[in-house]
Amino acid sequence: MERSWQEKAECANPARSFASAKPTGAEKFCARPSLIELAENLYPQQVNMAISADERVEDPGRVPFAAGLRARLRVLEGTAASRTAGVALLVVILAFLSIYPLSMLLYGSLHSTPPGMAGVFNLDGYQAVLTRQNLVMLLNTVGISLAKTFPSLVIAVLLAWILARTDTPFRGALEVLVTLPFFIPPILTAMAWGMLGNPQVGLLNQLYQWATGSSNSPINVYSYGGVIWHMMQYSIPFMFLLIVDAFRAMDPSLEEAARMCGASRWRTFRTVTLLLILPALSSAAILSFIRGIENFESPLFFGSPAGIRVITTDIYDSINQRSPPQYQYATAVSFVIMALLLLIVLLQWKLLRGRNFTTVSGKGYSPTVMKLGKWRWATFAFCVLFFAVTVVLPVGQLLIGSFFKFFGFYQWDMLTLEHYRAVFGSSEFWRGFGNTMLLGLAGASLTMVLGGVVAYISVRTKWRGRMLIDVMAWLPWMMPGIVLGVGFLWGFALLPHAIPIYGTIWALLLAYISLGTPLSVQVMSSAYSQLSYDIEECSRVHGASWLQTMRHIMIALAWPSFAVGWVLVFFGIMRELSASVLLYSVGSEVLSVVLLKLWTNGNAEQVSVIGLMMIVLVVLFRWVQLKVIKARISTL
Amino acid sequence: MSNVVLEKVSRNFGKFSAVSGVDLRVNEGEFVTLLGPSGCGKTTTLRMVAGLEQNTGGRISIGDRVVSDAERGLFVPAERRALGMVFQSYAIWPHMTVFDNVAYPLRVRRTPRPDIRARVLEALRLVEMGDYADRPAPALSGGQQQRVAIARALVFEPALLLLDEPLSNLDARLRAQMGAEFRALQKRLQITSLYVTHDQEEAMALSDRIVVMQAGRVLQIGTPEEIYQRPLSQAVATFFGSPNLLPATVVACARLGESQFELSVRGSGWAGVCRAREAAVKDATVLVMVRPENIRLVDRASRDTGGSIILSGRVIDSSFHGARRSVTIDVGGSLMKADLPAMAPLSELVTLNIDERTAWALAS
Ligand SMILES: Nc1ncnc2c1ncn2[C@@H]1O[C@H](COP(=O)(O)OP(=O)(O)OP(=O)(O)O)[C@@H](O)[C@H]1O
Ligand SMILES: [Mg+2]
Repeated sequence: MERSWQEKAECANPARSFASAKPTGAEKFCARPSLIELAENLYPQQVNMAISADERVEDPGRVPFAAGLRARLRVLEGTAASRTAGVALLVVILAFLSIYPLSMLLYGSLHSTPPGMAGVFNLDGYQAVLTRQNLVMLLNTVGISLAKTFPSLVIAVLLAWILARTDTPFRGALEVLVTLPFFIPPILTAMAWGMLGNPQVGLLNQLYQWATGSSNSPINVYSYGGVIWHMMQYSIPFMFLLIVDAFRAMDPSLEEAARMCGASRWRTFRTVTLLLILPALSSAAILSFIRGIENFESPLFFGSPAGIRVITTDIYDSINQRSPPQYQYATAVSFVIMALLLLIVLLQWKLLRGRNFTTVSGKGYSPTVMKLGKWRWATFAFCVLFFAVTVVLPVGQLLIGSFFKFFGFYQWDMLTLEHYRAVFGSSEFWRGFGNTMLLGLAGASLTMVLGGVVAYISVRTKWRGRMLIDVMAWLPWMMPGIVLGVGFLWGFALLPHAIPIYGTIWALLLAYISLGTPLSVQVMSSAYSQLSYDIEECSRVHGASWLQTMRHIMIALAWPSFAVGWVLVFFGIMRELSASVLLYSVGSEVLSVVLLKLWTNGNAEQVSVIGLMMIVLVVLFRWVQLKVIKARISTL
Repeated sequence: MSNVVLEKVSRNFGKFSAVSGVDLRVNEGEFVTLLGPSGCGKTTTLRMVAGLEQNTGGRISIGDRVVSDAERGLFVPAERRALGMVFQSYAIWPHMTVFDNVAYPLRVRRTPRPDIRARVLEALRLVEMGDYADRPAPALSGGQQQRVAIARALVFEPALLLLDEPLSNLDARLRAQMGAEFRALQKRLQITSLYVTHDQEEAMALSDRIVVMQAGRVLQIGTPEEIYQRPLSQAVATFFGSPNLLPATVVACARLGESQFELSVRGSGWAGVCRAREAAVKDATVLVMVRPENIRLVDRASRDTGGSIILSGRVIDSSFHGARRSVTIDVGGSLMKADLPAMAPLSELVTLNIDERTAWALAS
């Protein structure tokens, strides 16, 4: 052994070593990438058990092409010009997805008629915004969002503490159940709660009347309370997801130190635990507050019928419910909501700057778990109750609703399967289903690829233009779906006829990509920033080109995050209503639009059937996602 | 030949200059260590050699090839330099097995498959990890990861091996063992190595030559003995251990050989002879460096052992360290540290003897 290495050392003259960095004749023996190797990067353990490294068979037919392509790519990546071209292309794409609709909005708000029509520039739109009514609307928007954020935060903290820091039984399963409501499209629960809490025929009121014998209906979801309650069902699991890791990953010695100083459990929780996770809490609360302002479904379903106006529904109404549509007013209001959101974001930056205690370190802490004794069944019951109210009740309502002839009349002789027959026989449903799936698959994939590229450039390179790219990818975050919908509506209408996007499924696809990009960038950024630079540089030093490094190291390591982000974006597309309802046209309806149409026509029974189908899909995807996360945790 | 040459290499980050004007020549098969306090630019220097950082000034060549020249705007990226590198964090890719990690440099160079297997297994055997080839990389201990990282860096027989504090994540015992093993391997394979550490003992035990750096500049380059016994400056002297520095005045100067002089000096309450690198004029003030372990205890009676420095003082503190005893002695108002044999009889008043060959004069 020794001798052979000495021999090698002697003949390892630099000329040979440098030559070996270039492609040699040997390369035709090992064409790459092979599927096996690709799969191996994805599933390191499994594949290696089945196939040992030297038993792989290659397809010799592919070699010249692969080698040629590689050579070409290597030439491409080497030049600074190609990098500039790549960045420029990215800038153009992102500008089309964010700056373009934004400038359309600005144009629209200053012009008396929609783009493309004769008109004058004036400030009438903004003047129309400045009314006393709209002040009430603004207060409604902010007030409702505040009113749902704080109770949600308290419950989310409680749930996070129960599931991360106590010995409550079945915590793993409970965590899955408690977060499930977040993934159910809000339009479904909105409709279900519309049926459950209907003041005339709602199931809850019927139960109350049956139980007490009285004839009044205590529950009316068409109210402030209804709007807030519906929003809370999403805010609670949303904030839970954002803060639970902060609870879980805290260094236990920080708390133990407080205990050693004589602080009681409660005092420790108050003075140490809570304060340490305060940054996580406040950023979760601010995010939730922003989502409350952007929320469309809750005020549409429960506010509008009761005359409660918020900004998003006002934009929707002034375009969809008034004739002629008041475009200038709608776009002017859009800027009000964007200004509001910008204000909050600036406030957030100011508030949270420098307050990010890193209690979360790479080390696998196991935080101290509090022994609750008998009380652990109480905390268990609390979690189950939350799940029951937010998932079992609405899904149960959909289930019941789907089997009875008429919504609200629950008698044995009214049982029927006709709604299922009607739905499955309706071409509109299948078209909507097909569109949703197609847009979901394509949209999620494209969004994640775009987000992955943007995140890579902004996190891991020092390329010029990366700030610009980052900001442009982040811009849609400032634009609620309904606002972006308006911007794209005009943007697409104005495109030359050679680019037929307007009124096609492409319009929805582009809007979805734009809406999903900030999320995908965030997911991929955090994935990349967790990978140390060493891991990437090590590959370069050992002879891999940039592309090879991307493929074998960065993508191979970041793909679990990619998958998780993909599912999140897919969920986002499946639930998207506000932009879809503006951008769809006949033939390109998606499921949420089909649902809304049916609901507006009073067909609650078929709504229930379709809703159930969607819930099955949601559970399926969530299950896959959890599997992926688990697989990641066990491999890394 | 795979020698590395750095000529006036500098690196600025904005206005801050992390490395400035480093000149260094690493010969073939040599083990050279960059040593210096935290933030002195060791990693930056190493990364410039690796091609992970571009030097803003100067020229770097590996072998006969210039790989980076700031003036001509020439820069060969890391993957074209054919180097091996061991990172401080090891950078073992967690999604691959041990085998795949080590095979990576060969695969990206499109080595034939049977070759890959043979060479990877041989590299793993070399670091005594032959049995672990099929382990998933995360299931390794720190020391094992380090071996894999070395195997990966060696597997394609690089012209030059770069190591950035490869031992700093290991515990003290493992560090010594791995260090010795690596040095043996390096000698056997004759790999030119550039090594970064801030641990002086590690540097001295492993290196052929040491480059002492401070604040981005090279203070001294030399063999461990040279740097330890004949430092160029006070900064280098105090970087290794805590020597006694006795102020003294030059009485006479005599040439001994090339850059080797003998000075007769007089301190406060003592006089004697010491060595120096440069000649000094009469009445110049110098600092005489005396390492604690070079101080011996002598009988009062045998005072005149010609040529040596003799001091006497009072023991004010002493602590036992097993093999030796650390003693603090008050010599005419200034404190001296001495490492004496643990069993040496110690009275309150002691006489100390310092061999002139171990006393080294520094410009003060
Ligand atoms: N990308 C960078 N931008 C700005 N300054 C940098 C950058 N990289 C390094 N520096 C600075 O250059 C100096 C030298 O850094 P370097 O990492 O080379 O130190 P080092 O000698 O390796 O220290 P250590 O022993 O702590 O690893 C430091 O002051 C560091 O802050
Ligand atoms: Mg360093």
